[in-house]
Amino acid sequence: MATIALADAVLEELVAICGEEHVFTGKSALYNRARVPAPFPVHRWDDHIPQAVVLPTSAEQISEVVKLANRHRIPVVPRAGGTGLTDGAVPLRHGILVDVKLMNRILEIDLEDRTVTVQPGINMLKLSEELRPYGFIYPDNPASYPCSLVGGRIGTSGWSLIGARYGHTRDLVISFEIVLPTGEIIRVGDGGGKKVRKSSSGYQLKHLFMGHQGTLGIVTEATLELVKRPEAEFSAFFAYPAYVDAWKATGDLARSGFATLAGVVLFDEKKVEYLRRDDEAYIPQPDSVKSVVAVAMYGQAAEVRPAAKEIMRIGKDSGGTYLGDEISQADWAARHDRYATPLHGRTRSGQVVPMGWHCEDAAIPYSALPQVRERWHAIADGLRERFDMFDDWGMFVYTNGAFKPWGDFLTEIDIGIWEMRWDEESWAAWVDAKREIGRVAVEAGGSLSACHGSCREGEVDLVPLELGGGFEVMKKIKCALDPNNVMNPGKYLLDRAYEEVD
Amino acid sequence: MATEKTTGAPGNGALTEAFVEEWRNAAYNCFSSGHKFCREVCPVMQVTRDERHTPTAFHANVVAMDKGHLAVEDVAEDYVHCTMCGACELRCPNTLFTGDFYRFRQRTVDLVKAMRALAVAKGVHQKSWKRWADLTDRWGNEPVLGWNVETSQSKVRAWATGLEIPIGGETVLFADCEAAFYRTSVPRAVALILQAAGVEFGLMKEQWCCGGPMWETGYVDVAHKMAEHNMMDWRRTGTKRVICLDPHDYITMVEHYPPLDEGFDEFEIVLAVDLVAELIRDGRLALTTPIDRTVTYHDPCRLNKRMGVHQSPREILRAIPGLTFVDVDHVTQWSYCSGAGGGLPIEKPELTAEISRRRVAKAKELEGVDTLVSACPWSERPLTEQGKTQGIEVYDIFELVAESAGFEV
Repeated sequence: MATIALADAVLEELVAICGEEHVFTGKSALYNRARVPAPFPVHRWDDHIPQAVVLPTSAEQISEVVKLANRHRIPVVPRAGGTGLTDGAVPLRHGILVDVKLMNRILEIDLEDRTVTVQPGINMLKLSEELRPYGFIYPDNPASYPCSLVGGRIGTSGWSLIGARYGHTRDLVISFEIVLPTGEIIRVGDGGGKKVRKSSSGYQLKHLFMGHQGTLGIVTEATLELVKRPEAEFSAFFAYPAYVDAWKATGDLARSGFATLAGVVLFDEKKVEYLRRDDEAYIPQPDSVKSVVAVAMYGQAAEVRPAAKEIMRIGKDSGGTYLGDEISQADWAARHDRYATPLHGRTRSGQVVPMGWHCEDAAIPYSALPQVRERWHAIADGLRERFDMFDDWGMFVYTNGAFKPWGDFLTEIDIGIWEMRWDEESWAAWVDAKREIGRVAVEAGGSLSACHGSCREGEVDLVPLELGGGFEVMKKIKCALDPNNVMNPGKYLLDRAYEEVD
Repeated sequence: MATEKTTGAPGNGALTEAFVEEWRNAAYNCFSSGHKFCREVCPVMQVTRDERHTPTAFHANVVAMDKGHLAVEDVAEDYVHCTMCGACELRCPNTLFTGDFYRFRQRTVDLVKAMRALAVAKGVHQKSWKRWADLTDRWGNEPVLGWNVETSQSKVRAWATGLEIPIGGETVLFADCEAAFYRTSVPRAVALILQAAGVEFGLMKEQWCCGGPMWETGYVDVAHKMAEHNMMDWRRTGTKRVICLDPHDYITMVEHYPPLDEGFDEFEIVLAVDLVAELIRDGRLALTTPIDRTVTYHDPCRLNKRMGVHQSPREILRAIPGLTFVDVDHVTQWSYCSGAGGGLPIEKPELTAEISRRRVAKAKELEGVDTLVSACPWSERPLTEQGKTQGIEVYDIFELVAESAGFEV
């Protein structure tokens, strides 16, 4: 193991803060908290091992750990579900890993003001199970809905599949408590009171402390929206003879103006081809089906039922063929179980091999979707050409705006990777490809990520390009709030802030 | 599917290399996804919240061993944290994706067994499991009454005193260790029910532990010895049909016995809960005494999650007169467990107690429920303990059936 052990005196302090049963230095405890979902550079697993893991049970303990880290100049890395796709939870510079999973209690359900206050280690599916008897849900619904945790959703400012209807994490989290990089515990929201949704008092700190990938602190409590369980739901899948028709239909549906519209998903031609080829669970369709659009609505029956008729009309008027109730209901219901895609992909010769799934995402303006699609597939083709361990699994496009689902779209390309084959050369090529994918997105007037964040090798290099002067402000904020650079160092190129100061 | 040999657990020895070779592809199938849908349904993880105890970690460790980062000594204790309930397998995206089509299932339970066996083979023991295995080997049955109370052959049929059950015959009732020595009301209830329905059956001449817990905790040699003895005993008494009242015995016999014995097909292994449902359905068993209780049913993991058996017990409960049955569907119960499986209560009794406490609390939340009914004797000990403090009585399904058939057990 490449990592140097922490001094005994530091470990003793950690034990004094968190209790002996909540401090770990064993190898399996460390290795299993160094990794995140694929693609994980398994040949470099050794490089990012934390030196100690703590499972705190209170904000005060976390605050003390952070203060200790500042005294000793040891990195602190927060970890919730560890399901993020941009390595936010990977301890790039080793240090103390603060795993918040033990803090998973529901603290208050307020039926009057419609809030639920929770600790950061709770999972959204579990939370919704607990809310069910009251007739409520917490509709922050990413692909990782069954396993990601509220703290990580805030740290990454996540995207929700049904965000067009209910909003994304930033819209569903009303306020939260966070331990700053210097150890102070503060509460941020739109304004002062923890249950206030809209305020114009002071700086809007809630947004600053979301999506920072753990570089600006550790969330210890959050007050969330309590949303009435929808009375009715509707989903429909339409087939199109070409991508361009499906793209036009996606625009029509997204601009339809229905408040109950929860999401529109476009499957491009490569995606349909891939599903037909290798996804045994995908309901078979005739060869004439080249591209598919899925649409879903949630709400009160009085809203959803009449709107559903209009959606069916738009689908048909746009040249779509309704694919039937079976796929419309079952495939939609199974979206989360199926996003990780099958166990296998294919080499160039068509040989089936075990492959993991990776997804590159960006936010792209609607008008630029067709050209981005072509350029992304060309990048994937180039990669596959050079290394017979990558497979292009096609693209999805999703409505991206909260409550206003028109305009820009979460755009994803899924790439299968035969991970047993990783070596330095293929990894470097992959990182280059990711950078190119990101460059196309930025050049198209988009953002490097709508969903995952942009911390991973490759795309992170383009963050200054994307944000321009905003990146300079990020560096200043980072330096001001984290003078010793202990909070998840190495992420988002923020180390540069300290190099410039030196 | 193409496979590939990479580095192969350098320095960890031939046993580890063979283990890694066998599990590498499965481990990568998990590692390459890493989406952890398994985590929040895992009964142990729900309590410890420790990533070392997740099915994902159980697979990732194989990759780490393959790369030479970890050895079995580093992880053996982590693998204690599993009740082998199978929830993770059902919830795994890999299973969900291909399960319907290829009957594929991520084999996490088998992986945990294999890792535990590797640990034992390499001399890495868990103290209480070793003691449990040693005593099982010595006494023939598990030490379910404590380390110092011998569960010997002379007492294995003591529960049947006065029931006049013959030895051997074409059909035998297999009463597992926990039922035969601890919750003796369960085998008595089953025997009375079968007799009342006119099912002819005997008891084994010499019944040893089914061997399941030995496979589960890594003591494979002891397991083989138990299984081979039991099959020999069946042959000695002309037995062709074995009725299992305990799901653990059943799954052991159908999963582990056949590879050991080429002639296994001559035996039929029957699940008592299926048989009793059939007897009621066919009118061979009359349930006439009303039971004035409001019950909910605990889906034992090996029935529900491992074998997909969830209808028979519900059919039985609905046939009991007077009973109010508040059902919680079997899919919701994927994330429920008593904590009693996989040897967990032997090594980590405090974890079993907490898992059971949470399970009983789920029953307590249901309006009017005063009784939790299970169909697995192993689950009933910790559930009963927790039921006492939460005001919920715990019954075995056969105890209720026997009572409704007019027996006192």
